[in-house]
Amino acid sequence: MGRFFGSIYDGIFNIYHESYHQIFQHLYDNGGYTRMGLTFLLIPLAGWIIFYFLWKYPYSKLWHWLVWTAVMVLVVALVTNGIANSEIFNSGNQTLNELLADTETGYAEYARSLPMKYVLANSLLALILSFLYSLLLKQFSRIHVHLPF
Amino acid sequence: MARKLYIFAIGGTGSRVLKALTMLFASGVKTGNDFDTVIPIIIDPDTSNGDLNRTKDILRLYQEIRNQVDQPEDFFSQEIRTINEMTVNSPGVNPEYFQFKLKDTDNNTFNQYIGFDSLSDNIEEKDDKNFIRSLFSAQNLKSNLDVGFKGNPNMGSIILNQFTNSEDFRKFGQTFGDDDAIFIINSIFGGTGAAGFPLLLKNLRGNVSMPRYAKIRVAPIGGITFLPYFSLNRNDEVNAESFEEKAKIAIEYYNRTIISLNQINTLYFIGNRGNTNQEDYAVGGQEQRNKAHFLELAGVLAILDFCNDIDPHRAATQVKEFGIEHDTQNITFTDLNIGNAKLLSPPLTKFRLFTEYLDKGLEKSLNVSRWTKSNIKLVRGNKQSLLNNNYFNSAEYKTQIRPFNNYFTEWLREMKENKPSFSPFEEITSDDALELVKGQTPKGNKSFRALDIQNCLLTDNISIRNREKKHTMLIKMFGRSTGKVLVKRNLVIR
Repeated sequence: MGRFFGSIYDGIFNIYHESYHQIFQHLYDNGGYTRMGLTFLLIPLAGWIIFYFLWKYPYSKLWHWLVWTAVMVLVVALVTNGIANSEIFNSGNQTLNELLADTETGYAEYARSLPMKYVLANSLLALILSFLYSLLLKQFSRIHVHLPF
Repeated sequence: MARKLYIFAIGGTGSRVLKALTMLFASGVKTGNDFDTVIPIIIDPDTSNGDLNRTKDILRLYQEIRNQVDQPEDFFSQEIRTINEMTVNSPGVNPEYFQFKLKDTDNNTFNQYIGFDSLSDNIEEKDDKNFIRSLFSAQNLKSNLDVGFKGNPNMGSIILNQFTNSEDFRKFGQTFGDDDAIFIINSIFGGTGAAGFPLLLKNLRGNVSMPRYAKIRVAPIGGITFLPYFSLNRNDEVNAESFEEKAKIAIEYYNRTIISLNQINTLYFIGNRGNTNQEDYAVGGQEQRNKAHFLELAGVLAILDFCNDIDPHRAATQVKEFGIEHDTQNITFTDLNIGNAKLLSPPLTKFRLFTEYLDKGLEKSLNVSRWTKSNIKLVRGNKQSLLNNNYFNSAEYKTQIRPFNNYFTEWLREMKENKPSFSPFEEITSDDALELVKGQTPKGNKSFRALDIQNCLLTDNISIRNREKKHTMLIKMFGRSTGKVLVKRNLVIR
């Protein structure tokens, strides 16, 4: 699973940087990719299940759907940011910590920019998945079948 | 076993009870005991009578709506037909066929009708004239017949005698089935009803020239006789002060000729002694448009009771009276006995919620709530609602559903304004819609939201959808959704 998500971040979003291999290796070995991947995959899914099946409000309009999408993306962004920071800066990986502590390696500076890249990637993925989940789940919804359109 | 119930509604009271019956049928009440078709027959010479024409219009709307519902199961589920529809097997709606026509009553005075005018003053005919004068007052003789009998049963008994020889009555006999039954509604204190009831019963039990006479003679017949329950705000040709006296005399006559001779299976009496309810004075015609009264609704209970309690082997006439549990001037469901409350509370509350919703709640959900949307993208066809903007702007909705609902609202309002007042419902707004039942405050959200949710949940249901019969989805959906909401919130007496 880590490989799959890794290929998305590295292959599609081109986040991987050979010069800072240790960070990516750590994310891969410790399940960081998996956690971030599941974040963009499952949080929107759970959110849209709540929206389409548990939220019983019969007057829902497009703006409700847009707000809910924004909330989903925001939640995914916040969780991704938390996971990325935690994985990179509180890793318990001695080699990585030493590299981060050594200012000459440039690891620290690069690492600080990395969570935002994952946040943006996951937000974009959450947005796309939200739309796809909506198209799928609305088929089975009995109250919000008309959303997003 | 399909059975028909023929209901003869005589005079203004008959029409008003028929109106109440139609309102209950619209609300989902059905006659029991396999009576799947009700055939109302209005007998009233006063063809321009406001009550009569209002009832005929309500019956027309009922039929038009029902014809546009595929297999109705709750609201409008009781079939109502005319004799004409039975004989020509036509689905066409013509409310004129609900009324049996009386010949020569349109532009004639009573003396013209009986040939009094044509009698000369010579010696042979002078005696006849004097004899007639001994039976009918001068005012009787010069009365126009197109406004009824103005509270004079002695006139009514002459005119109504022709009715049983009419084409309409022959058709009635032809369509009468083996298991069918008859119910007669009349008032005892007026003209048409008081005269018509014994006359009609006599013919049903003994007119050998009537088709299927042998069956009709032994058929179950029930009747409800209204004792005085309103007075008039002035006395003139029709004198309300005589109502009670006329009622006593008529009861005595009924007792001798109907009850003692077991001419009828069940006879219901209903009235309100000491009533303070005054109607605007009118001898008949368009001006006679009395406010709906709770007793007319109670009269419907007699019809339903008769259907459920038919015992063809019971020889003696059963006499029943109606009463309520609490003597009050403001009757609600809880003032009725529990059986009547259970019968009336669920259907009337459901239909009230339905009409109030369309009046006050639809605006919010139209083209917003999914049950009103038919342009949803990327879904299967049965996800699209048939109740979209086009439906609510259609001629059928505007000329059938809306006027019928207006009649229902008017009917409830009139019963509320009458004495005693029947007012089981509160005035509501869209924000407190579920506080519609007097004395009941449900917990949680009180708006129409719960009803809209139920409608959304029902939209996909294939059994409520039909494109050809336009009102199917509206009527069947609300029949179910109103019931679910009211039961869930414990707002009806079950």
